[in-house]
Amino acid sequence: MRKVTTRAFAVLLLVFLTVAGMGVYIFRLAVDGGDWATFYANRSIYSNGVLNRGTVTDRNDTVLASASPDGFRYAESGSVRRGCLHVVGDLGGNIGTSILSRYRPDFVNYSFFTGTTGEAASMKLTIDADVSAAAADALGGTKGTVLVCNYKTGEVLCMVSSPNWDPSQGVPQDPGDGAFINRAISSTFAPGSVFKLVTTAAALETIPDIWDQTFTCDGSTIIGGQTVKCTGHHGTITVEQGLAHSCNVVFGQIGSQLGGERISQYAEKYGLTSEHTLNGTIATAAGSFPVAPGAGDAAWAAIGQYQDLLNPYAFLRFICAIANGGTVVEPTILYGESAGTIQLMSPSTAQTLSEMMSYNVELEYGTGTYPGLEMHAKTGTAEVGDGTTHAWFAGFITNADAPLAFVVMAERAGSGYRVASPIANTVLQKAVSVLN
Amino acid sequence: MELTAQALGAFGPRLADISRYILPFIAVLIVARCVRSMLRERYEPETWAYLYLNGNVMIPLRHWECLLGRARSVDAQIDDPSVEKLHACLIRDAAGLWRIYNLGKGETSVNGVLVPAGGAILQDADAITLGERSARFVDLTEQERASLLKYRHAPGRRARPVVTLLLLTLFQLILVLQHLVYNEDAGLTVAIAFAVMAAIGWVYFIVLRASGRRGFEPELLALLLSSVGMSVAASKAPSDIFKQLALFAGAVVLFVVMCLWIRDLQRVKSVRLYASVAAVLLLGVTLVLADEQNGARNWIQFGSFSIQPSELVKVLYIYAGAATLDRLFVNRNLIFYIGFSAACVGLLALMGDFGTALVFFVTFLVISFMRSGNFATVFLAVAGAVLGVMLVLTVKPHVIARFQTWGHVWEDVDWRGYQQSRALTAAASGGLFGFGAGNGWFIGIVAAETDLVFAVVCEELGLITALCCMVSLLALALFVVKNAAAGRSSYFVIAAAATVSSMLVQLCLNVFGSMDILPFTGVTFPFVSMGGTSLISCWMLLAFVKGSDTRANASLAVMRPEKFSGGLGVEDSGADDEDGYGDEDVDYEAYDDSEYDDEDCSDADGWYGSPGGDR
Repeated sequence: MRKVTTRAFAVLLLVFLTVAGMGVYIFRLAVDGGDWATFYANRSIYSNGVLNRGTVTDRNDTVLASASPDGFRYAESGSVRRGCLHVVGDLGGNIGTSILSRYRPDFVNYSFFTGTTGEAASMKLTIDADVSAAAADALGGTKGTVLVCNYKTGEVLCMVSSPNWDPSQGVPQDPGDGAFINRAISSTFAPGSVFKLVTTAAALETIPDIWDQTFTCDGSTIIGGQTVKCTGHHGTITVEQGLAHSCNVVFGQIGSQLGGERISQYAEKYGLTSEHTLNGTIATAAGSFPVAPGAGDAAWAAIGQYQDLLNPYAFLRFICAIANGGTVVEPTILYGESAGTIQLMSPSTAQTLSEMMSYNVELEYGTGTYPGLEMHAKTGTAEVGDGTTHAWFAGFITNADAPLAFVVMAERAGSGYRVASPIANTVLQKAVSVLN
Repeated sequence: MELTAQALGAFGPRLADISRYILPFIAVLIVARCVRSMLRERYEPETWAYLYLNGNVMIPLRHWECLLGRARSVDAQIDDPSVEKLHACLIRDAAGLWRIYNLGKGETSVNGVLVPAGGAILQDADAITLGERSARFVDLTEQERASLLKYRHAPGRRARPVVTLLLLTLFQLILVLQHLVYNEDAGLTVAIAFAVMAAIGWVYFIVLRASGRRGFEPELLALLLSSVGMSVAASKAPSDIFKQLALFAGAVVLFVVMCLWIRDLQRVKSVRLYASVAAVLLLGVTLVLADEQNGARNWIQFGSFSIQPSELVKVLYIYAGAATLDRLFVNRNLIFYIGFSAACVGLLALMGDFGTALVFFVTFLVISFMRSGNFATVFLAVAGAVLGVMLVLTVKPHVIARFQTWGHVWEDVDWRGYQQSRALTAAASGGLFGFGAGNGWFIGIVAAETDLVFAVVCEELGLITALCCMVSLLALALFVVKNAAAGRSSYFVIAAAATVSSMLVQLCLNVFGSMDILPFTGVTFPFVSMGGTSLISCWMLLAFVKGSDTRANASLAVMRPEKFSGGLGVEDSGADDEDGYGDEDVDYEAYDDSEYDDEDCSDADGWYGSPGGDR
C-alpha cells in the first residue's frame, strides 16, 4: 500500500505545472494586460471599434483628445490639433510613438487591478497646446521638427513634427513625406554645424592648449588631402570666435587634432548614439557617428558632416545638459512624472559651452534678433548631398521664468540662421508669454 | 414582489457595484476555509490490525492492503536477508476477513502451513513465517477498535462546514443580485435557479450531517465551482437556466449514488470488467452516431439534448483503470489495461477530440504509473502517444491549425486568433474584480461558455474569483495526495489520483489553451463550463475524491469502520449531536486552543504514533 501511496505524489507534478502556468498567465497579464484590454474588440471601451472613453489634456487642461460614447473629439483649435498630432496621435493609430498608441491603457484608465472596470479618467501632458500650435504654424509647410523643454524640470512643452495633418478630418490622401513619423523622436538627420558644440566640448576637455591656439581661415584649407571649405574668410581667430562664425577651417583643424575616434567617443558619451526612451516607454531612433578613419574625414566629422546622423531628441538632452550645468533632467511628456537625472558633462564644460553659445548670439546672430530672450544658441546648416541643406537652430534661454531648451530642425529648408532661427524665436516668444 | 422590484431599482445598482468587490473576497474565504480544513487536519490513519515481530515490535496495519518484506517502501518492513524485498501481501476485504498472499520467490507459511498460490486466510493470533523470520498477526477486537475510534477526530473543527456553506449561499445571493441588476435578460428564473441550487446544497448538507458525516470540503468546492458555472449559464442564456439546473441536480444525485456505490469495494471490483467494455462500446457507438462539430465527432443528439459520451467514458475509464493491490502485486497484469487504454485513446483520436484524448492519456499515465511504479512502462506509453499525436496531426487539419495559431493569436486577430485574442482582451479588462455577473460582452463569442469560460469568469467575476476556481481544483489534488497515505485500498488512492489528474489536465488545457499559453484544444473547465455531460462526469468523479477521504465520519463514500461488524456499540459523536450545531462551538474552541495544536500532534496514549512517522 505504501508503494502506491508514495506514487500518488506524481499528482504533485501536475499541481506544480498548473501553478507554474498560473504564474505565467499572471506575469503575462501584468506585462501585456494593457495591450490586451485595449484591443478594439473590447466592447467596454470601444463603441463600434472607436474608443469611447478617455481624455488627454495639455498642461493647462486644454483637451487635446477626448473619447466618449458620443464620439471621439480632438482639440478645438486646428493649429493645436496639428501641433499636437505627433504627441497625441490619431484614432487610426498611424503614429506609433504617440500617446494614443503607446499609452492607450492609461488613456482608457486600464490598470492590472481594475482592468477597464473603473471610471474613465483624464491624462495630463506637459505639452503646452498654444506653444505647439505656434510651432506648427511657424513650421507651416516646411518639413521638420520643433522641440522645446524646460531644462530644470524636464517638462516637454512642445514636440511638433511636420508634415502633419488635422486628425479631425482623417488622414488626407497625400499626408506628405514621412507624415506618420515624429521627426523629433524617430528620425536622424545630418547635423552640420550644431555638432560643433560636441566637437568644442571634446576640444575643451582633451586639447590642453585649445584656448592658446589660433587658426587662420582664408576660405578653405586642405586637411588629410581633403579640401574643407568655409563660408567666409575669417582671418586669424580663436576657437571661441571660430564657433561663433561657425568656421569650418577652425573646426576642421580641431577635428584633425582630435581624430575620428575621439569625436565618435564624445558623440557616444553625450548620448547622441543611444536609443533613448521618453518616459521609459517611447523609444527614440539612435543617431550614428561612425569613426572617421583619416584626418580629412575627421575634419568633416568634426563639423557635423561626414556620415554623422543626429536624432533631435538626443540633441535636446545634450542642450539641456549644457543649460543645466552638465546634468540632464530627463525629459518627460507626462505631467507630474519625473524621469530622473543624469550627469552628461562636467559643470565647467557646460559653463564654458554656455558662455560660448551666448557669445555666438552677441557676435554673430544679434541679441536684437531675439527680443526679451536671454539666448544661447548655435546654428547649423547641414549639407545633405543633393545641394539642399537641413536648417538647425539649437540652444536655450536663461530667462528666469522660462528656463527653456530647444531644438529646431527644418528639413532641406536652407540655412540655420535664416530658416530655423526665426522659427525658434517665434516659438520661444510664445512660450515665454504663456509661462509668464 | 413589486416592492422588491422597486427596492432593487433604487438600491440595486449601487449594491451590485459594491458587491463586485465583496464577491472575490467571499470566494477566497470559501476556498481558504476548505483548504485549511482539508490540508491542515491532523494525519490520523485508521488501524485495522497489528503485526508483532520478535514478540515485542508492534507494527500497526493502516490499510486494507499491506505489503510485507525487506524493502524500505513496504508497509511492514522485516529487515532480514532471508526475507524477500516484497515477500508477502496482507489483504482485508470489506467483511473484515484477512488473507495473506505469497509474492515472489520466497516462502510464506501460516501456523506452519505453506501459503498456496491462491493465498490463505489469516485469523487472529496466527503465526506467520517469512523466510526465517516469524511474526504474529493480531486482529483488533471490537473493544479495541471502538476505543481507537474514539481517538480519531472528525473533520470540521478548523473550519465549520456550516459557516462555509452560509458563505457559499451569500456568494450565490450576490450572483443573483448582479444578474438582476446587470443582465437585462435575467429575471425571476435566474433567481429561482440559484435558490434551488442553494437548496440542493443545504438539503445535501443537512441530510448528511444528520447521519453523522462531518467532511464536506470537496463538495463545497464543487458547489462553489458549480455556482460560478451557473452564473456563466445565466449570462449565456437566462431562458435556458432550468436546463442547467436540472443537469446540476442530476449530477448531484449521481454523485450521491456513486458515493454509495463505491463504499463496497467488493461490489466495485465485481463490475470493473463491465465498465471497461461499456467504455469502449460507448466510444465506438459515438464514433458511428456522432455529428461533427468543430471538426470533432463527439456529440450525440437526443432531441434538444446533446450528450458528449466521452465525458461519461472518463468516469468508466477511471473506474475500470484503478486497481487493488492484489491485482498489482499478486497477479501483475498491465497488458489488459494498456490495451483498454489504447482502445479508448485511439477511438477519441479517431473522433478528432484531441483535447479529451490528451486528458485520457495523462490519466492513463497517472494510473499506469501508480499501478506499476515503473517508468519504463510510462516511457513506452509516451512513445506510443507521440506516434498517436503525429497520426492525429496528419489526419486532422483543425488540430494542426490550432497548433499553428498557438503563440500567434495577435497576428491573426480576426480569423484564427479570433477567439483567443478576444478571450485575452476580456480577461484583462475584468481586472481583479470583474464587471459583475451578467455584465460582460465576451459571453457572446462562440464557445465562450465552454472552452473559453475562464475569460468569461475573469471578465464578469474578476481574476481573483477565477483563480479561486483554479485553486479549488488544486486543493482537491493536494487533498488526494494527502489522503493517499491513509487510504484503505489502493483502488481508492489510484482512482482519486486519476480523478484529480484528469481534472487538472482539463483545467490546464482549458485555461492555458484559451489564454494562449498552450495550444487551444477545446476541453471544459471542470464544474464551471456549461454543458451537462461534463458537469455530470465531474460530479461523478468527485465521488472518487470522497472515496479517498478516510478521516473519521468524513465521507459518504467511505463506510464507517463500526459498520463492518454490525455495530460495535461505539458512541457515534456525529449522530448523537442531533440538537443542531450550537453545542459544538465549545468543542471547537477547546480544540483550537489546546488539544489541537499543530505541534502537539502525538497522542497521549501513543496509538497513532507521530504523524510523520508512517510516511
